[in-house]
Parts: sequence; structure tokens; C-alpha cells
Amino acid sequence: MLVLKAEYKVEGGKLIKVQLEREDNKIKAIKITGDFFMHPEELIDELEKSLIGCSIEESAITEIIKRFIEEKGVILLGVAPEDFAKCIVRAGGSSG
Amino acid sequence: MAEKWRLLDTGLKDAFYNMALDEAIVIARSKNLVPNTLRFFRWEPSAVSIGYFQSMEEEVDVEACNRLGIDYVRRRTGGGAVYHDRDGELTYSIVISENHPLISRDFQKTYEILCSGLVRGLRLLGIPAEFKPINDIVIGGKKISGNAQTRGMGIVHQHGTILRDVNPKLMFTVLKVPSEKIRDKMIKSVEERVTSIKSYLGREVTFEELKNALISGFEEALNIELVPGEITDFEERMAMKLKMEKYSTREWNFRR
Repeated sequence: MLVLKAEYKVEGGKLIKVQLEREDNKIKAIKITGDFFMHPEELIDELEKSLIGCSIEESAITEIIKRFIEEKGVILLGVAPEDFAKCIVRAGGSSG
Repeated sequence: MAEKWRLLDTGLKDAFYNMALDEAIVIARSKNLVPNTLRFFRWEPSAVSIGYFQSMEEEVDVEACNRLGIDYVRRRTGGGAVYHDRDGELTYSIVISENHPLISRDFQKTYEILCSGLVRGLRLLGIPAEFKPINDIVIGGKKISGNAQTRGMGIVHQHGTILRDVNPKLMFTVLKVPSEKIRDKMIKSVEERVTSIKSYLGREVTFEELKNALISGFEEALNIELVPGEITDFEERMAMKLKMEKYSTREWNFRR
């Protein structure tokens, strides 16, 4: 399986790294790492799961992450949902 | 009357115990078994810690660490990879109830408030330190301290480092760099972005002198009295358990 990768440094913020597997322009598997802050931390696994099956498209991904954060009361520091989305799309468009 | 906090100085310990004890103190505080606590500690052997969300393989040259006898551990807090030099660095942690008046719902604000103790302490040493959002303390724009915070069980836990002396070369031996070619460039750039007490003052400041300054800094900035205390049996047992079952395990350290 081809693992696609990208990095995205938020200006004045933190670094996001994404690894993903793509199928039919959808996210098949994803791992988000980096030096950002997200509270509660353990929800990162659930956030990743919520993205599986999502089209690799910036506004759709942003929407899912925003909704997740609102529903779960997640706090982000040094990154925003749009930044995750940008990095994911960048990975999805890379050739590995 | 200033509020009394417990002051712990746990000296030189290994990375797994150090991270386990921090969590053990959080658990003990959440059960109201101990007061709010400021802890100083150091690392033996020297170690690398990575943030909760980081990948061990991507951030750390595990082989180099094994070769040099340097430990590596994942923290319970977010943030970046840090090289904790046995002789170059002092680490602290604060464990405080979330409903304490010093704690804001705003994480950014809380970093600034808790870091004010470090800032004040460094100024007592003649170092014009300033807090720099999100989570750094700088001198003239150069980083001297990095900090990381988390919350849970009704407790705020913040830990961070203060650089007495810095060794960028060793730092980049244990931290992964994109390629050998840019290693030198990165070492240079760290020299431009990071400083230490020694390089600013041009003299050695002993750990004792640094700790004493920080104790006064925290007492003044947070309006508290730090009373030297001991780890409870509960904390020691919990720390040993967390070291064995969590922080020293491959499952935890390589989970991302």
C-alpha cells in the first residue's frame, strides 16, 4: 500500500505531519503527528478514525475536523482545523 | 499569608521514572492526597522526550541513542522533541488543581501565568527573560525554556526545561534531521535560535543557584510559599507501576 506523506508548518504555530493511504481519492488510513497541542490528547485516535472514508478535499476535511472538535470539546493550540486539512490534502496529492 | 505548595527535588533519575512520577503526582493530586506541587528533576542517563503526538521513529535516531546510552520516552504532553542533557538542563513540573484561581480556562493564558515563575526566577539571575507564546521563554528572541501542559482528572500538569548549557551537536545526533547535508546548517540555526544561561551570562550557574532563583521566582510570581517535602508512598508505588506498565514500554513509546 502506498503511504503518502506531507508536512505543514503553521506560521507562528506548530508543525503537522501526515501519513495516509488513499483509495479512490478517499482517505483509507491516516496518521497525524507533530509538535502541536490538542486536548484531551487521547482523542487524536478518534479524530483520525473520523477522517477515514472522507474525500481528500480541503473544505470537506476542514468541516469534519471542525465538527469533531466542537462535539468533543477539543482544544487545539498552535494549529487549526484548516491547517490539518491543508496538510492532509498536501499528502493526498503527493506521490509518496 | 501565601498559600503553601510542596517543593520536590527528585535529582537524577531515568526518563521512564521521571515521566511516570509526573503522572503519579497528578493522580495523587487528583485524589487530594498531596498539595499543589513544584518539582525539579534531572535526567540520568541523558534522554530524549517526544511530544504525545510525535512519532518516535520520525523524530529520534533510536540507533544513535542506543549507541550513546541515551534514553527515549514519549511524554503525556504535546509539543516537540527535547534532548535532556544530564548536565546541561534542569526540568521542572507543576501539578496544580484545575479550579485554582491561578488557572484560566484559556490554555495560552495559563502557560503565561505558570511560566511567570520561571521568567521572574531567571530575571533574579540577571537574565532578561520573557514569555513568548505559545509555550516558550526567550532572551532577546532566543529560546531558553520550552514548556508543555495538559489537563485531566481536574488537574493541570505543566512541565518544561531550562537550559543551563546547550550542545546542539549532540542534540542533532539524537534527533533526526532530514539529511546529513543539512545537519551542519541546522546546528548553526539552533545556535542562532537557542541560548542558555551559560551563553548569556558568560559564566556557569550551578543547579543549586538556578533552583534557588526559580524557587524565589515562583514564590514571588505566584504568591506562594514552597515548602520542601517528600514523595508519598502512594506516589512512589504509582510511579514504579507507571514506569513498568507505561513509560518504559515499546507500546507507549512507539505508539505513533
